Amino acid sequence: MNCRKEPIDREEVVAKYLSRTLDAVAVEEFEGHYLGCDECFEELRVSERLAVELRASNLSWKKSGGVSVLAFRSSAELTHSAHELEDLRRQVLEQSDSRVVIDLSRVTRIDSAGLGQLMSCYSHLVRNQGSLKVVHARPEVKKVLDMTGISTLISSFTDEQEAIRSFKN
Amino acid sequence: MDLTDPDLDRLRLKLKYKVLYHVGHGCPDVDDLIQETLARFLRAEQRSQIRNTEEFGAFLNGVCRNVILEYRRRGKRETSFDDQGSAVEGSVRPDAEILELRDAIDFSLADLAERDRCILRALYLEGRDKEEICREWEMSDAHFRVVLFRAKERFRRAYTGK
Repeated sequence: MNCRKEPIDREEVVAKYLSRTLDAVAVEEFEGHYLGCDECFEELRVSERLAVELRASNLSWKKSGGVSVLAFRSSAELTHSAHELEDLRRQVLEQSDSRVVIDLSRVTRIDSAGLGQLMSCYSHLVRNQGSLKVVHARPEVKKVLDMTGISTLISSFTDEQEAIRSFKN
Repeated sequence: MDLTDPDLDRLRLKLKYKVLYHVGHGCPDVDDLIQETLARFLRAEQRSQIRNTEEFGAFLNGVCRNVILEYRRRGKRETSFDDQGSAVEGSVRPDAEILELRDAIDFSLADLAERDRCILRALYLEGRDKEEICREWEMSDAHFRVVLFRAKERFRRAYTGK
């Protein structure tokens, strides 16, 4: 790999590496290269952060009354193939608060993968002496949470402040 | 090859990227895998087994690949549910780091035009080809280059504080 010849080609390789669309041989070649090339490694670091933040930018995060509140900025799906699933997991698992409220008002669909991810977040937070609550779930999403019995573990609220206060009870 | 402490720290960081890429953030043994790779690499270096020191990245990559393969083989025999649980707990980051990062991002991404953001998403998240993106957004190769570098530079300045 000649990284100095055409930087735009390097950008493409880095982007494909990060989105995991590079074939196995090209992955090997690129890794063998950046382990010995500081310049390309720096590009990888910056691009990786940028990719993470582009994903996270659909999720807003705020702290209220010692509780983290996560909300999607635009319409989102918590389904097997959706980016949002990994973003949510990352946001919940990688932050230090163990009391979290997820605003589901913009979540239009949820499937078994989404339910599994919610349960995984819930288990993680409970293990860290906290809990998970959801707020503003749409009727179709609320129905799935009720049907699967998840709402008996993850309480659902219609008011954000009420959800936050419930941690103190 | 004379490797100083900063050189080794740098190699450790690079190896962390490779190891995390292949075993994921939930793996509890990332540091051990990096350490094992470095130990094997340094032993080979002391025994002059690295023929072409200019291409040491490829050699180090091969060593790391073997370490990960061996770890996976071992893991298949020993994986338990409890191990996975402790991995998740270990991934909690300190508050300050997250807040610092969030500020930088909000600042830099808010500055980007919606179109530039879509282009970056297509490239970095959807893994689409440069040609395909240029066609969809009716832009030349040169224009794509400008959008990409402008966005990256803005992000780089926000996140490095320069």
